[in-house]
Amino acid sequence: MSGKTVRKPVDTFKFILRKVLLVILAAMVVFPLVYMLSSSLFRPTDFNRLHLFPDTPNFANYAKALSHRYFGHYMVNSVGTALFAAVVRSVVVILAAFAFTHLRFKGKNFFLGALVLTLFVPQEAILYQNYRTVAALGLIDTWTGIVSTSLFSAAQMLLLMGAFSGIGKEPYDAARIDGATDLRYIANVLIPMTGPVVLTMGIQTMITTFNSYLWPLLVTNRPQSRTIQVGITMLGFVEASDIGAQMAALTIVTVPFLVVLALAKKRIETALIRS
Amino acid sequence: MTCACKAYRLPLVTPSGSLKYKIKPYLFIAPAVILAALFWWYPSAKGFVSSFLTMSNSGKVMGFAGLKNYIMLFSDRNFLKSIWTTLRFVLLFVPLNTVLTVLAASLTRRRSKLSFIPEYLFFSPVAISLSAYSLLFREMFRGEASVVNRIFGLDSGWITDPTGAMVTLVILGVFLDFGIDYILLMCAFRSLDKNIIEAARIDGAGGWSLLFGVELPMIGKTVMVTVFLALKDALLICAPIIILTEGGPFRSTETIMFYYYVEAFKSGNRAIQNSLSSLVLVIAAFAMIIYERRGRKRQ
Repeated sequence: MSGKTVRKPVDTFKFILRKVLLVILAAMVVFPLVYMLSSSLFRPTDFNRLHLFPDTPNFANYAKALSHRYFGHYMVNSVGTALFAAVVRSVVVILAAFAFTHLRFKGKNFFLGALVLTLFVPQEAILYQNYRTVAALGLIDTWTGIVSTSLFSAAQMLLLMGAFSGIGKEPYDAARIDGATDLRYIANVLIPMTGPVVLTMGIQTMITTFNSYLWPLLVTNRPQSRTIQVGITMLGFVEASDIGAQMAALTIVTVPFLVVLALAKKRIETALIRS
Repeated sequence: MTCACKAYRLPLVTPSGSLKYKIKPYLFIAPAVILAALFWWYPSAKGFVSSFLTMSNSGKVMGFAGLKNYIMLFSDRNFLKSIWTTLRFVLLFVPLNTVLTVLAASLTRRRSKLSFIPEYLFFSPVAISLSAYSLLFREMFRGEASVVNRIFGLDSGWITDPTGAMVTLVILGVFLDFGIDYILLMCAFRSLDKNIIEAARIDGAGGWSLLFGVELPMIGKTVMVTVFLALKDALLICAPIIILTEGGPFRSTETIMFYYYVEAFKSGNRAIQNSLSSLVLVIAAFAMIIYERRGRKRQ
């Protein structure tokens, strides 16, 4: 900020008030996170004492969480389904957005309208019907079943259509004259030109799929098929009064995202701040 | 979302004539259409039609029911209670969430050398997943011996008593939405035209009057977006309840969608499942139309 002025006493008071408010609010927001990190190093007896940090850190909790029978399965399933959903959804959405922006065909507005209509239908409201469909298709306990309802997104399609339209028709006409097929044009011109949008979309899909809870809970029965978000609620540590191990498991799942967030924070802000 | 809708009608040239060119566009949209049909149109239509039919537990159609399923739904005490519970949650959660996120964003709206620290702290809830937060809260608010009681010297039963459980759920809700709402609001503040703020400051506006008189009204649209998101999340809340309280104690945290989850997946009650699902669809459609209309008026 440029306009630095000399502070009056009232302003100093307000300044301190603002900072105090900021510190209190920040402390409240991070408290659960801090408690998760510190209690993942607690011994069982530490949970009944009034302190925030353990006297001696107990790393056994991490060993316990990592050596849980299904922890590896959960992680593999989560990472796998997140990548699967991101790749397939991107392809589906890119193809549709290309057709709606670059091609002319009968019933275009009808199909577009029908696809946009899905924005009006919250998945929560049709949970049971979709569960029946997935069960009928024999997709219970499969990765395809877990990602099935996130393979299309009308919001992402509209976003991409905006990005594709912004490029205009000249590159497409030029590519056609050069004899390039549509798929080649998409792969070599369209995607590179809208790279950041496509990438952001893919990452968004990965994160939402990785973090989803209710749908994976419904379509998985076998413990080996569960994702980590469902799995961490079923580790059995809490039932065995081993809360430290539960906290260690939560920490293992959370810390990678905290790191990614620290790295991506600047980019997210520049994307959101219009100058 | 609305800006993208308008841009798609670009008149682009496509060679036409051969059959291949006529079919191709349909092949491009086929995956999207098939997925939308399978997981959006078909389930919505089927739920809607089924809500007027009498069905056996195995899914066989036994006859036309008229409004019987809806009457059954509305004469279920637990459903009526779940509406009240959901409304209570909305009335507690939406204002609290809005006030806290706007407060956090306005306290950090000016960039400074160290501002990245509070920014990161306020943004960090985004990194913690729904089930992780819910499990964490189940431990932090587990009852009289919980860490929250020990630190603040309270003796609330939290998730073990009806009022405490609702309060815990509201706080959990705020944490689940805090990060994303904060970053949207904070970035909206920083997107404001610096000249206007500078002009207002020269006119004597400063501190609170600058915030409430100039800056907040200017980011009104973003505030409305976060309020709408909060409303949607609050009305549809279900997953955190499954982990945190399982609707209890004494059904005190059983919201509409949690009731739906129990009736559909635990009790297998088709009449209630279909009629409630259709009801939610109709309400969601109306809400979206109203929201879109408002959005267009503002533009």
